[in-house]
Amino acid sequence: MRTLAFLACTAAFAQTGAPALNDWSSYGGTQYSWRYSALNQINTQNIKQLAPAWLFQTGDYAENLHSTPIVQNGVMYLITARLQVFALDATNGKVIWHYRYPSPAAGLPGTHADFIQNRGVAIGDGKVFFGTKDNFMVALDQRTGKEVWKVSIDDPKQCGCNITGAPLVVKDKVIIGGNGGDQAHRGYLTALSTKTGRVAWRWYVVPGPGEPGNDTWKGDSWRYGGGSPWLTGSYDPELNLLYWGTGNAAADFYDGDRVVAGANKGAPTNLYTASVVALDADTGKLRWHYQEVPDDVWDYDAAYEVLLMDREIRGQMRKILVHMNKSGLTFVLDRVTGQYLSAFMVPEVYNWITGFTEDGKLVGRNEPVLGQKGNFCPSTAGAKSWNSMAYSPRTGFIYTPTNETCNDITSNATPASEGKFYMNGEFPMTLPPGRTTYSHVDAFDPVTGKRMWSMPYRLMLLSSMLTTAGDLVFTGDPEGNFFALDARSGNKLWNFQTGAGHRGAAISYSVNGKQYIATTTGWHQTVVGGAVARIFPEEEFRLGSTLVVFALPEGTR
Amino acid sequence: MIRSLVLSMVVCGIANAQAVRGEQVFVQSCSTGYCHGSRGVGAGAPRLAARGFDQNSIRATITNGVTGTSMPSFAKSLSRTDLAAVVNYVSALNGATATAAATAPVKLAPQAARGKALFSDAVKSFGRCATCHEAGGLGIAVAPPIHDVPLNAAALKALKTPRVVTATIAGESMPALVVAKKTGTITFYDLTMPPPVLRTEPPAEFTSREESTWKHSDVIGAYSDADLTPILTFLRAVK
Repeated sequence: MRTLAFLACTAAFAQTGAPALNDWSSYGGTQYSWRYSALNQINTQNIKQLAPAWLFQTGDYAENLHSTPIVQNGVMYLITARLQVFALDATNGKVIWHYRYPSPAAGLPGTHADFIQNRGVAIGDGKVFFGTKDNFMVALDQRTGKEVWKVSIDDPKQCGCNITGAPLVVKDKVIIGGNGGDQAHRGYLTALSTKTGRVAWRWYVVPGPGEPGNDTWKGDSWRYGGGSPWLTGSYDPELNLLYWGTGNAAADFYDGDRVVAGANKGAPTNLYTASVVALDADTGKLRWHYQEVPDDVWDYDAAYEVLLMDREIRGQMRKILVHMNKSGLTFVLDRVTGQYLSAFMVPEVYNWITGFTEDGKLVGRNEPVLGQKGNFCPSTAGAKSWNSMAYSPRTGFIYTPTNETCNDITSNATPASEGKFYMNGEFPMTLPPGRTTYSHVDAFDPVTGKRMWSMPYRLMLLSSMLTTAGDLVFTGDPEGNFFALDARSGNKLWNFQTGAGHRGAAISYSVNGKQYIATTTGWHQTVVGGAVARIFPEEEFRLGSTLVVFALPEGTR
Repeated sequence: MIRSLVLSMVVCGIANAQAVRGEQVFVQSCSTGYCHGSRGVGAGAPRLAARGFDQNSIRATITNGVTGTSMPSFAKSLSRTDLAAVVNYVSALNGATATAAATAPVKLAPQAARGKALFSDAVKSFGRCATCHEAGGLGIAVAPPIHDVPLNAAALKALKTPRVVTATIAGESMPALVVAKKTGTITFYDLTMPPPVLRTEPPAEFTSREESTWKHSDVIGAYSDADLTPILTFLRAVK
């Protein structure tokens, strides 16, 4: 088993050329989205000595800090919810430059005044890239923090959409999705030249008239079909394929506008929403697709991260991808062809289907009935929220923060109006009965689909996972604890109270031979954070916007 | 009801008087000579219209001036009332009214409503008018606000765009719309292809010459003549 995992590791690394061991160069660590650091100076033997090295307070406290920091050559690039970007000396937090994006006009329609969020920057071509609340893509000079280019990729006043996800840099292009799947809007990915900001290609999630898949939409519903790929994708340089998860179909909870009555929901429906897609990175042309939730009526976005790994399956090394959608149903696909290999269910509580067939088809769909309240599990917050899972090539396990929640969905048939809210339902979160814990950190072997260990937690877990070659798994909880688990057993080895809830991400990097672990802190009280506050009214989750960085004290072995 | 009507008339009266005064102050103090040009479209000094400036930054700039440029502080030379009026005027040039228009849409006649839908037609992606123009509360204000609406589709296609120049950076030439020149930076829209990219370059690497092969008629190819007529009707309705 260990040999196998080692092989997988070397095979995967051979594809990118070795990822810079010392850096955290991309949202998911590398373009494979593993959230794995190959550093092992901090490990299961010495973790108890891990201590704070430095803190950085962004001063932007209103909406917390939940972006993934990027580190390259000893410099950290960090963005806040209100789009302040910092370049910091990654050994001590000293500010090298500080950039502030001007606030969009107050009350600008479509920019979600209550939805102030940014999940990270990307770097490449000597620039730092990020998307904005009013749909600009911005490139800063990586050395000075000065604006180099800026381009509007959509009009928020019209589309009701915005950008909160981190971009992905692939060769000479920077690729970004957008939010808007809960509005009457047609989602897309846009690739821009890193050098000039000019649009290189745009791929619409929802195909237009005459394109394959358009006939899976009723009438003109494709115009406002949603599907926005609002998080960050992955890239395989050997195949030159870009992998991205797409969002839910719009309207979220009512399909009467978009699906012909009596349609066979075993067949692809409302393409290419709630799917994983593979695109040619140079042209944006669709190479293959796999739809996980045909006719999504539960808001089971599949916009989540796509983990690319090479593993032995039934005696043969395969290039696979592992992808979870909000329902917690996790798919293993051949990433060359999109062929279904297997699936496994991560949450313990679910009732939206009764199960799935050997070839991954949903069985026993339990759909909201128009106008009638029904309880569905998992909730739209997801069996996992948008925060990422992690994968260790040493253990061969994925690590995921799993939540056990439900929601009371009451759907309605409000017609679409471009750029306006188009969820068509109320969906207050509820807790499943008969439990005392509502989340757990899980380790799964994605090849067997077997849960290897599970660490229960009484509230919800909404922060990304980090795993390292020190065989550690890190994440944080809403109460402010940042903790390390043994990657092989799940035993808790270390805990540090950071003082504010965790809704972001941890990373690891090294400068001058010293390994650091950095985590964002600060609870977020809107969207899922707000729902959590309502279901746990006796809890007080602390806000903040501080980066906390840990290292081993001098002399530790 | 009556009271609120009277109140709103009074408030509107004050707002209108301030808008008129703001424009007067702007003409006397800001658009003169080699400065910001009529309606802030730019001349010797940077363009002010449709730059995405917010009211606080406009107030700060007018009050304090910009060190190292010829932009003076108007804190002493303008009365407090005039200063507030001109701040509001420049805010309006930056879409303050357009935003208000978007939240309270005017009722358009059918032809103009069709024009609005075409102007911002998402299916045309970056080929829509709204990629570069803001009108009726929609669109991205790359071009200065439209004041003179062409008479018909033929006039629109023949539109001259004297502000578009040919810029050369690192050996690459491109159609460009310059919006600001400061010590150390030049800011311009790269019009090579829609959507335009706002680029900032050091002046040393930037050369430009008047005129360009760029034509407005080349970027409206997503529209037929039959589309352009209602679009012009819409632009007249919201002017």
